[in-house]
Amino acid sequence: MATGERRIIQAIDEIVAKPGEGKALLDDYLARYAPGARARGMVLEQVLVSPPMWLDDQSNTLSFRWSIADTGGWWQMRFVGGNDPEVIAWWAEADARAVSRRRFFAAEPVDIEGLCHV
Amino acid sequence: MFKLTRLVTLADPAGLEPLAEAVCALATSHMAYRSLVAPTLPGSHFGGDLLVHCAFDGAAERDAFGAALSPLLAGSAIASVDGVDYQGSPDGKHDPDLASGVYRVLLLSIDEGCDAETIARFEAETRMMPHYIPAIRNWQLSQADRAVGERRWTHVWEQEYAGVEGLRGPYMLHPYHWARIDRWFDPECPERIVDARLCHSFCALETSVL
Repeated sequence: MATGERRIIQAIDEIVAKPGEGKALLDDYLARYAPGARARGMVLEQVLVSPPMWLDDQSNTLSFRWSIADTGGWWQMRFVGGNDPEVIAWWAEADARAVSRRRFFAAEPVDIEGLCHV
Repeated sequence: MFKLTRLVTLADPAGLEPLAEAVCALATSHMAYRSLVAPTLPGSHFGGDLLVHCAFDGAAERDAFGAALSPLLAGSAIASVDGVDYQGSPDGKHDPDLASGVYRVLLLSIDEGCDAETIARFEAETRMMPHYIPAIRNWQLSQADRAVGERRWTHVWEQEYAGVEGLRGPYMLHPYHWARIDRWFDPECPERIVDARLCHSFCALETSVL
């Protein structure tokens, strides 16, 4: 594929779980959030746990990297997820079990030209 | 410049033309510095059927116009009205002589209790959109002095484009919009501060009003 043709977007959730909550929060994310996200066109590419052990007195950081095919797919994901009360309720519950959370969108350098060519 | 914007939804769209004529006449008689009264274009979302945007030299003139306008926008012929009164000074003009373009306005409501520092960051980042998205030819982000309608509208984000394709294409598709600014609006992002109910309205523009 030529430079500028790829437009793959990465959506990254980074959740710092409350001490001792890491494993349970990971399991709930995969069981309760991930199926709906897949239905909205997101593809779960990677799940990471840091440090690579379950802490019971400190926080684990959970990272989930999703891919989205292009900007049209991003808006589809955004409109459906952003208007779903169950999704909003999920994040409210997850935030109550987390010390902090980030969601950000990124791309591999090879995708930037295509994403910015609008 | 003291401004007033109303997004008017009619119970019967057949009443649009006579209402537009009456509002135009009222704006002229109240010495509006600039005015734009036009039907909204398809794709507006909670944007009304008729967009009314008028600017005046002083707050008293604007408020007098608003008071005279209210009876026209009341009664069974009107389904709903969203709008704001605000004071704006142009944030930026890439194309002050823009003609035959598109005017777009977004009414948004930031959560009560949001701290001033966060609001300032939202405003500063939003004002940078034209830097990354040149299709935005002229623009202005203002805080509302007064709001009417479905929400306590706090901000008015106005832009002008050479054509509707600038709004539907570069504005919506550029990463600075969806990967940077949208986190203030996205209920899935922890930074969200803007209520999900928005008024997104746009109409044809003869000459720049920003």
